[in-house]
Amino acid sequence: MLPLAGFTVVFGLAFGVAATNNGMAGWEAMLMSAFMFAAPSQFAALELWQSPLPLLAMATTTLAIHTRHILMSAALHPWLYTLPKRQRFAVIGLLTDSNWAMSLSAYQHGERNVGVLLGGGLALWAAWVIGTGMGLVWGEGIAEPRRYGLDVIMLCFLLVMVIGAGPRNSLYVPWLAAAVSAMLAYWYLPPYLHVMVGALTGGLVAVVQRPSSASGER
Amino acid sequence: MAPITTTQSLAAIGLLVLIAYFSRAAGLLIMARIPVGPQARRFVDAMSSSVLIAVITPLVIEGDGGARLAAIVAGLVILCLRRPLLAIGMGMGSASLWRLWLA
Repeated sequence: MLPLAGFTVVFGLAFGVAATNNGMAGWEAMLMSAFMFAAPSQFAALELWQSPLPLLAMATTTLAIHTRHILMSAALHPWLYTLPKRQRFAVIGLLTDSNWAMSLSAYQHGERNVGVLLGGGLALWAAWVIGTGMGLVWGEGIAEPRRYGLDVIMLCFLLVMVIGAGPRNSLYVPWLAAAVSAMLAYWYLPPYLHVMVGALTGGLVAVVQRPSSASGER
Repeated sequence: MAPITTTQSLAAIGLLVLIAYFSRAAGLLIMARIPVGPQARRFVDAMSSSVLIAVITPLVIEGDGGARLAAIVAGLVILCLRRPLLAIGMGMGSASLWRLWLA
């Protein structure tokens, strides 16, 4: 958990710097980190952070990124339903990809205490918020962010999130379809639709893809 | 263009916070009673990463040489070495060097 929290501080720092660089106020970035607590959707929201704010595009993008959390929390349901309702719905707010994976494996090994989910979540949350604060302070002090490559943090971070999640050969075709359709939508459709077009195309291609080509799945 | 007002940004952040929280809670509320088949699982799994691909692609294609180089370098590092921080750091470094020497 500790190395993961260390990572998360640095990721938070990257978010803080990227937020400053994208014209987001410090308090806005802090609110996001404290209450959204979701790196990929926060970085994606930064990309859409322009006046006037495209609320619908931001909402659908966030929803598309977070739908997997519905499946993830459903997998934890057998474990969490023994808790009082209030605790159950408080703990689940701390759900992230990493403490979910750890919790699920702990549960499968017979662990019935939700400490992994709660403790891991709290550690990651603190790391994320502290990192964001550090990034905001640090980012403000840099006069020419482009010169130091700070404007590509968001791009690199999202790329690393997508590719770094593990070897998933079955997803290369959906990703290619998502990239091509998103680019076409970017050029020929009204602004901001490309994110939704890419997301849905990727999902649909994964469904129609022959299962044999998906044999390399995790 | 007019700057983003406080009301507007509060509304946006509030909306995103609600979506993020309710996706986490929804699994406990409804999905526990609805069986999710492998098709739906595949759709959701591919969608949640494809949406990021869709955000990235125009940034790379319409970006300057530095942004493109950063994407290539970061992509290669994460693919081959599996080191996220190194990938981001080298991406930034290569964008910065590109702009220093070539742009």
